[in-house]
Formats: sequence, C-alpha cells, structure tokens
Amino acid sequence: MQRAAADTAVDENTPQEGGTLLRRLETDVSTLNPVLATSRYDRLVENYIFSPLIYIDANLQPTAGLAEKWEISPDGKLYTFHLSPKATFSDGVPLRASDVIFTLHKLVDPKTEAPQIAGGFEQLDLATTRAVDDHTVAIGFKEVFASQLSRFNELLIVPEHVYSKGDFRNDFVSQAIGSGPYRMVRRVPGKEILLERRDDYWTRKPYIKTVLFKVVVENATAWNALQKGELDETPVSSDIWLNESNNVQLKKKLDFRRFYTLSYNYIPWNGRDPIVGDKRVRRALSMCVDLKSLINNLYHGTARAMTGPFTPDSWAYNPEVPVVEFNPLEARRILNSLGWLDTDGDGILDKAKKPLRLEMLVIAGSGPTMIFAQLFQSELKKIGVQLNVLPLDPSVLIQRVLAGNYQAAYIGWDQDPDPDPYNIFHSSQIPPHGQNFIYYANPQADRLIEAGRRELDHGKRQAIYRELHALLAEDQPYTWTIQVSSKWASTRRVRGVRESNGYGLFLWYPGEFDWWIAQQPPPR
Amino acid sequence: MRSYIARRIAYAVLTFFGITVVVFALIHSVPGDPISFYIGRAGGVTLSRTGLEAIRRAHHLDRPLVVQYGWWLKGVVTLDFGTSILDGRPVVDRIAEKLPNTFLLNLLAFLVAAAIGIPVGLWSANKPGRLFDRGSAVTFFLLYSLPSFWVALLMMKLFAVKLNWLPLFGMTSDDYLDYSTAGRVIDRIRHMILPVATLTYSQLAIFARFSRSATTDVIRQDFITTARAKGAGNSVVLWRHAFRNALIPIITLLGLTVPYLISGSVIVEQIFQWDGIGHLYFESILGRDYPMIMALSVATAIVTLLAGLAADVLYAFADPRIRLGESSR
Repeated sequence: MQRAAADTAVDENTPQEGGTLLRRLETDVSTLNPVLATSRYDRLVENYIFSPLIYIDANLQPTAGLAEKWEISPDGKLYTFHLSPKATFSDGVPLRASDVIFTLHKLVDPKTEAPQIAGGFEQLDLATTRAVDDHTVAIGFKEVFASQLSRFNELLIVPEHVYSKGDFRNDFVSQAIGSGPYRMVRRVPGKEILLERRDDYWTRKPYIKTVLFKVVVENATAWNALQKGELDETPVSSDIWLNESNNVQLKKKLDFRRFYTLSYNYIPWNGRDPIVGDKRVRRALSMCVDLKSLINNLYHGTARAMTGPFTPDSWAYNPEVPVVEFNPLEARRILNSLGWLDTDGDGILDKAKKPLRLEMLVIAGSGPTMIFAQLFQSELKKIGVQLNVLPLDPSVLIQRVLAGNYQAAYIGWDQDPDPDPYNIFHSSQIPPHGQNFIYYANPQADRLIEAGRRELDHGKRQAIYRELHALLAEDQPYTWTIQVSSKWASTRRVRGVRESNGYGLFLWYPGEFDWWIAQQPPPR
Repeated sequence: MRSYIARRIAYAVLTFFGITVVVFALIHSVPGDPISFYIGRAGGVTLSRTGLEAIRRAHHLDRPLVVQYGWWLKGVVTLDFGTSILDGRPVVDRIAEKLPNTFLLNLLAFLVAAAIGIPVGLWSANKPGRLFDRGSAVTFFLLYSLPSFWVALLMMKLFAVKLNWLPLFGMTSDDYLDYSTAGRVIDRIRHMILPVATLTYSQLAIFARFSRSATTDVIRQDFITTARAKGAGNSVVLWRHAFRNALIPIITLLGLTVPYLISGSVIVEQIFQWDGIGHLYFESILGRDYPMIMALSVATAIVTLLAGLAADVLYAFADPRIRLGESSR
C-alpha cells in the first residue's frame, strides 16, 4: 500500500486524469438516502452521487447545478428552475421535473422523518409547486425568505422511478442512484464506500477516476494512515498541527492547510436570569474574557476573535464593531456601580446579602473548552465573581439549555451558508419554538431580523445585517469568543485542493470535483 | 437433575424481566433525549419541527414511561426490537452487522488468554514461590496495569508504521476482494493480530492467577501426594488430577467472561477501526438511542444469564455433590 511521494516535477497547472482518492469518513454514514441525511458525513458521500438544483460556489453564492438558470417571481414566493436537458441518472434515465417534485413531496411527508433537510423547506407550498414541463419546475413558498435559494443546495434530487418503489427509509441505506458525477460501486458498512466516476456524466467530468471513503473514527489512527499513504486527507487536531506542521520531513509528503469555517464559540447568557439578564452585567463579564491570551497561548494564533453574530468572512459581518476589550478593572467598576459590592470582605461581590455566584455548563471531555472555562473562572475570581464550571454530556447540556435551565454555557454554532439569524435571535423563536434559548427579545432586533430575511436586494440586506451586528454586540446576549480554524492535512499527490470562503475544502462547487492525483499508484 | 435445571431457568426468566425494567428506567432517567441529540448534532442549522415531532411520535417519546415500556415489551414479545432513532434502521439489522465481528475478535482473545494464562497458572501452583511463579506474576500484573489505548497506539506505531509488518487498521485490506481464499484468510489473520494482542495482554493475569489459586488449594491435598507417591509424572499429576479438581472455580471464571464475547470494547474497536458492538453501544448511549440501547442490553443480559445457567449446569456435571444436595447457595 505504501506509495512513493509525488514527483515534485509534476506540472501544477495540468491536471492529470484518473487515480484513486482515499478519503476519510470520521463516522460511518447513517444512510445514503439524501432526503434522510442527518449529518455532514452523510453529505460528504452523497455529494459525489447526487446533485442539487443549485450548487454554492467558493464565495457561498448560488451557481448552476441541475438547474442551468432560475427566476424568482416579483413577490419572492415562486422559484422557477430550468433543468439541464442533458441531465441523467447513473442508470441512464433522464432527470425530469417530476423527479424534483417527487423529492420535495418525500421531504415534507412527516412519515419520512427528515428533520434536517426539511428544516429549509418548512414554508413549502405544495399547492403552487408543479412541473411546468419536463425540464422546468416551479416551486412555491408561503413566505418570502431571502435565504431560500441557498437552501436548494441542501436538496439532492432522487429518481422517482427508483425511490418510489420499496421502503423509502430502509431500502436505500446502502445503495444509491443519483445524477451526480460518480456512481456507487459498493458499501461495506463500518468499513468503506467505493465510488466510480460516471463515463456518461452529463456535464464537466471530474479528474479522479475512483474515490474510496474509509471509515476511520480514531484521529490517531487516521494520522498514522495519512503518513503511510492509506488515506489522502484528514482533519488534524491542534496538537498534531502545532507539533508536526513545520516538520520538514513530513512536509515532503504532506500538505498542511488551515482555514476558517462558519463555526464559532460563544457563551449564551440566560436572559431570564436575574443576574445575567442585565446587559450591563453581561458586558462586564465579557470584559473578563482574555481573547488575546486565549488565541495566542491556547491556540497559538490559530484562532481569531468574534465580535457578533456573523463571522469575519461573511458578507453580513460588520467590520466596524470592535472586539470587547479585556478590562477586568472596568468590569469590576461596572459591577460595583450596579450595587455588587464586597460588603462582607470574603472576596466575593454581593448584593442584598447574595454573593455573585454563576454557573457555566460545558461539554465534558473537551480539553480546550475546559481550559477556556478555567481561564475565565480565574479572571472572574480576581474581580470577585465566583464561577462554577459544570461539565455535562452533550445531550444533557443541550436539553438543559433548551429548557432554559441554565445561567451560562460554553458552546458553538455551525452556521448555514446563508447568515439569516432568525432561528437564534428573533423573539418568536424562544423555546419551544426555536433556538433563542437566551430569551432575547429586542423589538428593534426583531424588526431588523424580519427585514433581513425578506429583503431580496443583496446590498440592502447587507446593510440591515451590519446594523443588526452592531445592535447585538451592544446587547451582548452572547459573549462571542473565537473562531477556531479548521486544520487539515493531505498527501502531496492530491492536487487542485482549494478552500472556499467559509465552507472548507468540499461541499461547494467545484470543490472536490477539481481535485486531481499527481501520480498514478504503481501497478500491482 | 431436571428440577434443578428447571428452577435455574425460571430464575433466569425472572431475572431477565428485572433487568429490562432496570435498564429501561435507568436509561430514561438519564437527562437528555434523542431529540436534544438531533438538535445538538445539527448545530445552528434550522431543523424541521414537523420532522422532529414525527420522530417523537413514531418512537412514542411523547407518552408516559410505563406506556413506552409497554410498547417496547409488546415489540420484544413479537421479536420486534424497533428501529434506531438515530438512523431509522431496524436495530436487529445493525446489531447483526456488527455482532459477528465482535464475537470473533473477543473469542480469539479469550482463547489466547486462556491458552497462555491457565498453563502458566498451573505451573506456578506446582512450584509456588519459585522464580517462574514470581516472574510470571510480576509480568502479568505489570501488563494488567497498562492502559490499553496506550499499548494499542504503541503497538500500532511499532508494528504497522515503523516496521510495516502488520496492517494499520480495519478487518481486511482495501483489495481484499481480489485475493484468493487462502489470501483472504491470511489477510484477516494479519488484521486480527494487534487487536487480539491488545485485548489479551490484560486478561493473562486474570486467567493465570485464578487457575493458580484454584490449583494451589487442590495440590496440597492428600490424593495429589498419593498420586505422586504412586510415581505418576509431574504433568500427569498436574493435568489429570489437580486441574480436573480445580475446574469448578475455572468454570465460574468462564461463565463470568462469556458476556464479554458480545459486549465489545470501545477502545480497541475505535483505534483499530474494528466494526463491532462496542462502538455501536457507545454511540447509541451518547445519542440516547433508546431502542438500540435496550436491544443491546437485552442481548448482553441474555448471554450473561445463559452463561450463568450453563456454568450452573456444568458444576453439576463436574461435581456430583451439587446435584445431590439441593442448592444451598
């Protein structure tokens, strides 16, 4: 299995055809039925086999997929997609508008139990959704959403003539027929999935002939496999990155990459709590997070500060909003001015005989999270705030947060490509309706969020979100902390790997379809 | 004899129901539920409320616990263990996929540990306090105390990465399907060496010490001295006389070990990417996949009870006193 390191004389600008790419799956897929996908790992494989109506490009903007072009009606509720007449499924049958309609019906059918993808189609209006002709489909919605178009990227189309027969939930777990550039050869559950490029693919073919996904759960095992050439790519842990990414020997065999995605970490404050419900208290607490030290000492510069709800790469990001300054003295002054004073001299601030004690939930077993919590704890202690850190199992933590049974937590979001923050900051989304578990209700923010999700003009929408960014930063319903960069290593024989603006190495277009292998493995 | 076995079976059935009630109550009393796991896994992505409601209803998560247990029991009686909440597939299918892998690996580890541990234990009992006895005890206890994830990673680094003698992970090679039958057998064995070694090394101490202490009791008795006086060879005395009489504690140990054959090991399975029950159990507990946890617990309970039953019956055969005197334990 050991392969020689790629010849450095390979012409970088002339992609070579063929070869086998060895990709890692950190968790086996739960199903290959794209309508039922529940995790990103499912999509990693499905993206090769199926295609969506539209892809998103390196800047997260919509680009042609199955649909060559599309129009949105003036009222913003009806989307008309013109499908490529050349599109076929891997069994040779042409893709028709009726397949799109079939997929949409399956998606919103409660019997399908598809909470993940269906989340983007809750306002689908089946009454106005129809096949106009074989290659034109009109899809209607009950409400206008500026983010709707990007949601079509999540919807991979299945062929009606195959998926309408048999048990939709159980018969398509390990077999798949789609209109994507690769066909499924075999799946061995828990071990591997082998894909082969379609010779009859209906648009530009990718360079790589076969893709073998190997399930490797353990990071240490994957790292060894990468060095032996048994995997071509894997995310790497911060530890390995710091110790190995400057190793000259390794760099002859491996490429190291580091980039930011759409995820970030934050401390949600329970808005109903008598103490942290006050935004002045929250600001004082935010001032005790030493982001600079965190980024430099814990992450060695491989993280960056957040200032509000949008990540620095997003078009919605407001560059004028400053990072909350680390200033414990000022924090203590603010708390004192609010009546929190150390009257009994025990080193802990108190008000009306009650000491300033807070509890923060963190996910158990996550090293960096625990270190962050301890740093925050020690800074708060210096100004007389006692922070108890409670590590919990992820399910328990989420249940407590969603139930409002918490004061603070340290968690992260993994955002959609479209930055619509409705689900997490609009007052109508307070649990059980949505994920506004901080009980944030600001009429001005509500107005901006509503306007933003209905505004179809990109420039105006950007202005709305920048205003919202500044408003949320002022209210500090979260203490926004950092974005930790994704770290990746790949073998030098894999070329053409590029990063998108926030979506990593793949799942955008062309993304993984532009990769190529610089040297054929020696014939066995 | 028959009534002895019948009574044991009746106890086993009662115990079985007791176990299901306790496991059901335990797993449902742990905070968190499958829906919160779904939401956590999706991150900030909008989830369909209708879809989540459908899942809740389909698995009766909206009903009182007693009703949920009723539904579950009704399914079990008709041999329907339900579908996984995490991926919607029948739990029996998923377990059937992984059970043979776990069973094969653990059976081998068990046989290797017994094949090395028991003779060493016997030999130590024969010459207690000598260098062999002391040396093997120290070695085995040292091995016993090494953490398995560390040993597994060290062995992997040495044998798979540095020396390149053995495969890194998995149960078969990438091109396994192209091999001849003999090639496939060899490939499978090569893939099993490191995981089996990891599972075995810590069990050696248990087998060796257990059989040593069982034999030590026997070896001081008069009939052994008689046998030696008759001029029987050392190995004949050990195996035919001492070992047979030391069988009862060893059967007990086997009965206790059998359930591990199907319960899997999270660490070994994860490091060597061995697609088994341990990892499935671990994931289903994290995701609060109630049907899967219940099915796996039931399977383990049944095997544990069967092993206990088998051990009880074997005692009766190994020692006639047990079936004559009514069970006094």
